[in-house]
Amino acid sequence: MNLFRSEEHIVRWLDGRTPGATISAVALCDLAHAWWGDRVSPDWRPHTRDQNQLILDSLGLTGAFWQLP
Amino acid sequence: MDDIDIALRNTTYGLFVEFGRAPTVDETAGRAGMASADVALGWQRLHDAHALVLYPGTDELRMANPFAARPTPYRVHAGGRSWYANCAWDAFGICAALHSDGRIETACADCGDEITVHVVDRKPVTDDDIAFHCLVPASHWWDDIVFS
Repeated sequence: MNLFRSEEHIVRWLDGRTPGATISAVALCDLAHAWWGDRVSPDWRPHTRDQNQLILDSLGLTGAFWQLP
Repeated sequence: MDDIDIALRNTTYGLFVEFGRAPTVDETAGRAGMASADVALGWQRLHDAHALVLYPGTDELRMANPFAARPTPYRVHAGGRSWYANCAWDAFGICAALHSDGRIETACADCGDEITVHVVDRKPVTDDDIAFHCLVPASHWWDDIVFS
């Protein structure tokens, strides 16, 4: 889960490997806030699988790649 | 994960934030009012539940996601402190978890050029046209969380 200067750099880094998913820094930042926002709360409770999937779905991260087990 | 383990997990995370580094078993035991051996056993259960990550065969914290216990290529300055993150997602996650603006310092995983991203009001600010790539599908992230 890395940052790259551009999508061209991702293609070069993959070097023929099957690509995963590429999203913008804005989308990543939105995802991070939705996913990690409660992690240091003293009242934190574990997320269920469905809660986490809803976070992905609500941000448009859909399709087989983003399906949690 | 029962309530006792959740409380231990939350104490551990609180110490990680307070210290600016990973707490030890003994430090956590002192704060939680538990025996060190019980903290070690609890951490192992939390590791098995993917609530934190230990170094294999030890009771040393490796990850309390999004925080990393040892230096990584992702340095995050937030809330007047500095942290290491486990990956790019976690780097933004530290700002999110702390509810803070911040600055992420890293490098392009391809060419090694420095990348700096500021997080201001929950949005990234950068001069670069950067992109995030996730290689491993979500269904396999925990097969090898360190690689993912």
